[in-house]
Amino acid sequence: MNETRPTVYEELQAKGHSRRDFMKFCTFIGAALGLESTGIAQVVKALETKSRLPVVWLHFQECTCCSESFIRSSHPLVADVILDKISLDYTETLMAAAGHQAEATLKNTIEKYKGQYVLLVEGSIPTKEDGAYCCIGGKSSYDIFKEVSKDAKAIIAWGNCASAGCVQAANPNPTGATPIYKLAEGKTVINVQGCPPIAEVMAGVIVHILAFDRIPQLDSLGRPKAFYSSRVHDTCYRRPNYDAGLFVESWDDENAKKGYCLYKMGCRGPNTYNSCGVIKWNNGVSFPIQSGHPCIGCSEANFWDNGPFYKHLANFPGFGIESTADKVGIGLGAVTVAGIAAHAVVTNIRKRKEIMKGLRTTDNNIA
Amino acid sequence: MTQRIVVDPITRIEGHLRIEAEIKDGKIVDAFSSGTMVRGIEIILKGRDPRDAWAFVERVCGVCTTVHALASVRSVENALGMVIPPNADLIRNLMFCAQYMQDHVVHFYHLHALDWVDVVSALSADPQKTSDIAKSLSNWPKSSPGYFSDLQKRLKGFVESGQLGIFANGYWGHPAYKLPAEVNLIGVAHYLEALEWQKEIVKVHTIFGGKNPHPNYLVGGVPCAINLDGNNAINAERLAYVQKLLEDAKTFVNQVYIPDLVAVAKYYKSDWGAIGGGLKNYLAYGDLPLNGYNNPESFKFPRGIVMDRDLTKIIPVDASDPQQIQEFIAHSYYNYSDGNKTGKHPWAGETNLHYTGPKPPYDYLKVEEQYSWLKTPRWKGNPMEVGPLSRMLVGFAAGNKEIQEVVKWGLSALEAPVEALFSTLGRTAARGLETKLVADWGLEFFNSLITNIKNGDTRTANTEKWDPETWPAEAKGVGLTEAPRGALAHWIVIKDKKIDNYQLVVPSTWNASPRDMNGQRSAYEESLIGTPIADPEKPLEILRTIHSFDPCLACAVH
Amino acid sequence: MKEKKEAEHNETVYVWQLPVRFYHWINALSILVLCVTGFLIGYPIALQNSAEASFGYWFGTVRFIHFVAAFIFFFNFVYRLYWGFVGNKYAKWDNFIPYRKSQWQEVLDVLKVDILMVSKKPIDSVGHNALASLTYFFTFLAFLVQSLTGFGLYAAMSKSFFPKLFAWIVPILGGDFNTRMIHHIFMWLFIVFAIIHIYLVFYHDYVERRGVTSSMIGGWKFIEKGHMEEVKKKVKV
Ligand code: HEM
Ligand code: HEM
Ligand code: NFV
Ligand code: SF4
Ligand code: SF4
Ligand code: F3S
Ligand SMILES: [Mg+2]
Repeated sequence: MNETRPTVYEELQAKGHSRRDFMKFCTFIGAALGLESTGIAQVVKALETKSRLPVVWLHFQECTCCSESFIRSSHPLVADVILDKISLDYTETLMAAAGHQAEATLKNTIEKYKGQYVLLVEGSIPTKEDGAYCCIGGKSSYDIFKEVSKDAKAIIAWGNCASAGCVQAANPNPTGATPIYKLAEGKTVINVQGCPPIAEVMAGVIVHILAFDRIPQLDSLGRPKAFYSSRVHDTCYRRPNYDAGLFVESWDDENAKKGYCLYKMGCRGPNTYNSCGVIKWNNGVSFPIQSGHPCIGCSEANFWDNGPFYKHLANFPGFGIESTADKVGIGLGAVTVAGIAAHAVVTNIRKRKEIMKGLRTTDNNIA
Repeated sequence: MTQRIVVDPITRIEGHLRIEAEIKDGKIVDAFSSGTMVRGIEIILKGRDPRDAWAFVERVCGVCTTVHALASVRSVENALGMVIPPNADLIRNLMFCAQYMQDHVVHFYHLHALDWVDVVSALSADPQKTSDIAKSLSNWPKSSPGYFSDLQKRLKGFVESGQLGIFANGYWGHPAYKLPAEVNLIGVAHYLEALEWQKEIVKVHTIFGGKNPHPNYLVGGVPCAINLDGNNAINAERLAYVQKLLEDAKTFVNQVYIPDLVAVAKYYKSDWGAIGGGLKNYLAYGDLPLNGYNNPESFKFPRGIVMDRDLTKIIPVDASDPQQIQEFIAHSYYNYSDGNKTGKHPWAGETNLHYTGPKPPYDYLKVEEQYSWLKTPRWKGNPMEVGPLSRMLVGFAAGNKEIQEVVKWGLSALEAPVEALFSTLGRTAARGLETKLVADWGLEFFNSLITNIKNGDTRTANTEKWDPETWPAEAKGVGLTEAPRGALAHWIVIKDKKIDNYQLVVPSTWNASPRDMNGQRSAYEESLIGTPIADPEKPLEILRTIHSFDPCLACAVH
Repeated sequence: MKEKKEAEHNETVYVWQLPVRFYHWINALSILVLCVTGFLIGYPIALQNSAEASFGYWFGTVRFIHFVAAFIFFFNFVYRLYWGFVGNKYAKWDNFIPYRKSQWQEVLDVLKVDILMVSKKPIDSVGHNALASLTYFFTFLAFLVQSLTGFGLYAAMSKSFFPKLFAWIVPILGGDFNTRMIHHIFMWLFIVFAIIHIYLVFYHDYVERRGVTSSMIGGWKFIEKGHMEEVKKKVKV
């Protein structure tokens, strides 16, 4: 790395932050990552000695809400992330340059910091129609991704779009929207899931890379374990209601006013891995369940096709909107019982004679 | 000779927008606006549960998050004849106001300001003078010389590090920048303060909707219950929090945003108050009901149309009339089953992707043929501008006292004539003026909510028609709202309890669409005609006018 | 008079060894419990009461019973697989996997005789007939699926090592949501199986008069004299 660049700590000092502020910040990040105190010391050391990390943020098939979420990051210093800790060299949402100047900036960064820049991707990549469903500067998003990912030091997929295709990949996925890990040609992709991911989770993952110079531990779906290893259900403060069997039965009923469990309103908390119950949203103000709406499972792949959202199981595929697995099951059971009844009747009228006859024959044979 | 220039990506907007402009003698003579990304969300909605639709369409855009969810639940409620409790309307209004304040402030500082504020010039500002200017503008506490000199140091360190990050390769030093160094420094300071502030006001969404971006909505009301005696619902603590957020937001808007807007506009009004007017027709659906969505007379933002900039007449608009609003695809990458010459009302709308543009990588679009993923909406065949300016003009023409007052106040603060409204600067100013109104209204809605609760009404949802068994075999609805960028509508057709058709016509679709088959340009293209371009290599002027619309292309195409 | 004669000309055959019988009833019982508790997990009954959460744990109890029954069910099942290698010939694993032509022939025969009632050809098997065996084969597979999905789901809520061994199944099936869907749908397979199964047991008892029903209790079936020899001959030919 370029040794002349000031370290994060030096920049903070120049900016008038005290050593104490700096330590507080490191402790916060360490805690967010679930580190022991020795780990926090490592964060401190890393931030004291490392210079600003060049970062490229690409935008593909997206709603830009991951960018929006990112700027909600609430820790005072994390709000300054783009000025003091990383060098956000390319992001269409915020950068001053446009058109050719923007393209030149991108080219410059990936050449100058070959193998050193971190690539952040927001949005999925459409693979149908030669990529014409998403073009920037006349190039397809797929081509741009190939070019920029080639020499990236690490690749982060922001949100459900880049991690799993999100809404545009929902059935019938008209544009062939594809998550980037499928196109990354074997490179490890960190899937920071959610629609969008929680701001502090996004910041936390970047800081992890910055501080430790390696990617965080990932689960089998590529999600950082620090934030995605437990279900919303396991950290949900309404869980005692669930265990006690106290459920909201309909919107705004007495039970809703008491804040009972939303399981029967379709809550996906039991099937969803995210930090909502712990970190919560917008600096810990609330999270979906706390505000009365069930979790819709926004950090899970294909959650859009697991609908309808207000039932805890999906509709049975191919049977229309009100057909749950249970309706099909009950139907199957009914058909079975009917079949058996018919079988029993036929058995009685037809076989009884046969049996009697058969018995007589046996009798005769033996006699 | 005309020269064709291409600006792609247009940055500091939402989404993927490309402008191709023809320049002759230093002025734009023709322009083509193209949306270059599509997802097909209207196709994906088919066959799904109408009660789920809000979540899908909310993901159309994370910048104007919530507005599509609002239009969606309204369209379903409209189709099924549901009336929501007054508290639900008030809570939706509060979320609406929070969205406006956040979205408009972020637009002004983070998406638009760098068109007017030269960051590099701020390095040479005198902190003492800066402080004097800041104090003359407002009572905002962060305005000491020390504050500005610290900031300047920080900026210096940043620039000297050689890593310019998001500020790299801007058009710094361009002759079109006119602010004194001190005002530039104020701009940079408030850029950073606004970045910190915007994450606060959205907590109104977090409280009522559980998160931001993409808070939760509910067909039939709002998902949060009110219970003053519970610790698991909207109670006194939560309400006090909301009040605090709204009050702080009002302070920020009045002490930072509006003064900055006035200060910057003064330096640019002589030229940019006359450039970029574009179309002469303005459309607004109106919003912020005081007496339910079904009574548009009670809306804070009035509904209607102004034609030909004639502010003495207001023309009614009916979104369910098949003759009024139609979408055309003469220059768009779509196919209609009965030929591409006719327009379709959204209830009968179709979304069949059909790419006919050049194979990427390409240098130029085929502008004579199809060149955009946006459809082209028209009102009775007319192109319309939508957005803050339309809202202010429609409100003005409709005789709305509050709107007339704020517009007059704005014009006098800027010492500008009425005609200055029809311009790039007018558009940017209108956005600020309505934010001022909305900051007040938020607190009004909050007080109404408190009054309701005091009177014993805590209902937040109407579940009578929640069960699909209660629905008719077929139903049609339309949900209208005023998104920050303008008139937004969703049309839904429900058949056999499923979505049979779902069509969105979005503010940026109106403004950024390609021309229609009669060659009439839409707002972006029209507003660029005649714009002077000092240096075709650095088309800062194009950014100014296009940014004044606050483009959102994920919205526009969906 | 007739009954007495009948008794004389039947021979008793010891078909179901004690472990198989034990297995069978533990299995039937645990599946019953799992279906009831599973269904409650899917559709908790509405309690409009004002009890504070800390005073009640009924839903947690339902789930607890489900998990206890799940462990019993699973290890009982594993035990039965083991017995498939060491048990008598009626318990042997190769009854269940139709790899011989004669087994497929019998499947067809049983279909014709018992289900469609278009043939009266006698069925040779003394243990399970071939169609029953085939059905049990699929049932065993379903047991496996249900155990994998169940413990896969359980892995996320358990601290102990055993369920964690199954955690890999969840991502393969596309996440917890899908896994749960599959787990839920398979419950219906068991219910439908049980209905048909119990009916057919009584039906066979009725038409064949070999005492099938009670055979799962005592182990003995009553087979027509000479039948055993005949079958043995046939198999050799
Ligand atoms: C015949 C066997 C079984 C049947 C019929 C059965 C049935 C069910 C049903 C219907 C559900 C509710 C699913 C829903 O609607 O969400 C369920 C949940 C569950 N079952 Fe089973 N199950 C069986 C065996 C097992 C086994 C062997 C395990 C292993 C531990 C297991 C573990 C679970 C778990 C963990 C859940 C989710 C409970 C929760 O989220 O609280 N099940 N089961
Ligand atoms: C009243 C209830 C039941 C009775 C009287 C009964 C009786 C029997 C009988 C007689 C057999 C031997 C069948 C043959 O010769 O082909 C059998 C086998 C079997 N039954 Fe049941 N059964 C009952 C309930 C169930 C239930 C609820 C289940 C599980 C869902 C079940 C699962 C099985 C299995 C898996 C076998 C094969 C046993 C083996 O060889 O391992 N049974 N049952
Ligand atoms: N255009 C647009 Fe939106 C807005 N405002 C939506 O309706 O930005 Ni994403
Ligand atoms: S993951 Fe969700 S929030 Fe992020 S860009 Fe995609 S749709 Fe928007
Ligand atoms: S509300 Fe959802 S996440 Fe919370 S306990 Fe109930 S089911 Fe679990
Ligand atoms: S919907 Fe998403 S935000 Fe959290 S509570 Fe569920 S994962
Ligand atoms: Mg549309």
